Amino acid sequence: MKTANMIRLIIDSRLESVSLVGSAVRGIANTLYIDSTTSYQLELCVVEAVTNGIKHAYHGQAGHSVEIDVLLYPDRLTFKIYNRGKSMNPAKVAPFSFDPSNIETLPEGGMGVYILHALMDEVHYETINGQNILTLVKYLKKH
Amino acid sequence: MQLKHNNVEDVLIVRPLEKRIDASTATEFKQKMNEWIDSGNRRIVLNLSEVDFIDSSGLGAIISGFKKIGNNGNLVICVVKESVMSLFRLTRMNRVFDIYASENEALEALSGKA
Repeated sequence: MKTANMIRLIIDSRLESVSLVGSAVRGIANTLYIDSTTSYQLELCVVEAVTNGIKHAYHGQAGHSVEIDVLLYPDRLTFKIYNRGKSMNPAKVAPFSFDPSNIETLPEGGMGVYILHALMDEVHYETINGQNILTLVKYLKKH
Repeated sequence: MQLKHNNVEDVLIVRPLEKRIDASTATEFKQKMNEWIDSGNRRIVLNLSEVDFIDSSGLGAIISGFKKIGNNGNLVICVVKESVMSLFRLTRMNRVFDIYASENEALEALSGKA
């Protein structure tokens, strides 16, 4: 495996700070000849992951740090999102499903994990020594 | 969150003047939409021309307004940027919402409905 270039982003666990991470991810994507829709989708996935961590791992409380490592390899982009809050049980995430013709079934939440799996090539979640690590990998197309 | 709003006859046009509708602004957006719906607005055009980022929280807030209106009116969307449109497609919300290229088209479509 070739050595990656790495950028580490650290924010406080406040929803108002998540857009800083999103803007950084979009800026990085823009340097990699990635089209604008894919750039948006990368930003979306990292924003969803960081937001989920703040809402669920830290119950929306400020004062904790959320770290995001962005690793650039020649063939892929990897994001590692770290927090030390409450762990998630991926098996307990409800599947995303609704009937577009039935207004009562439309979801107002619970779309984040579905979005990660739909847009990323790899999604891993693990907890090591109290640290939750969500890894997102996107393979880059060759030019 | 800045939301420009004006009425054209009985249609309320809402245009967020922010580039993002995300988890930090979704609650406020939802509250304002609820207030407008509670005060009798049943036909709403949401113009997303200024918005270049929506996450699932923002999308959930839009869906919330749509559900609150229910079958007593409609909430339609117009001028959606291609990147944002990809979220509507991914979540199949393009099959739920009527989405128009221009505000005029949205207004005409909504005015034609009983």
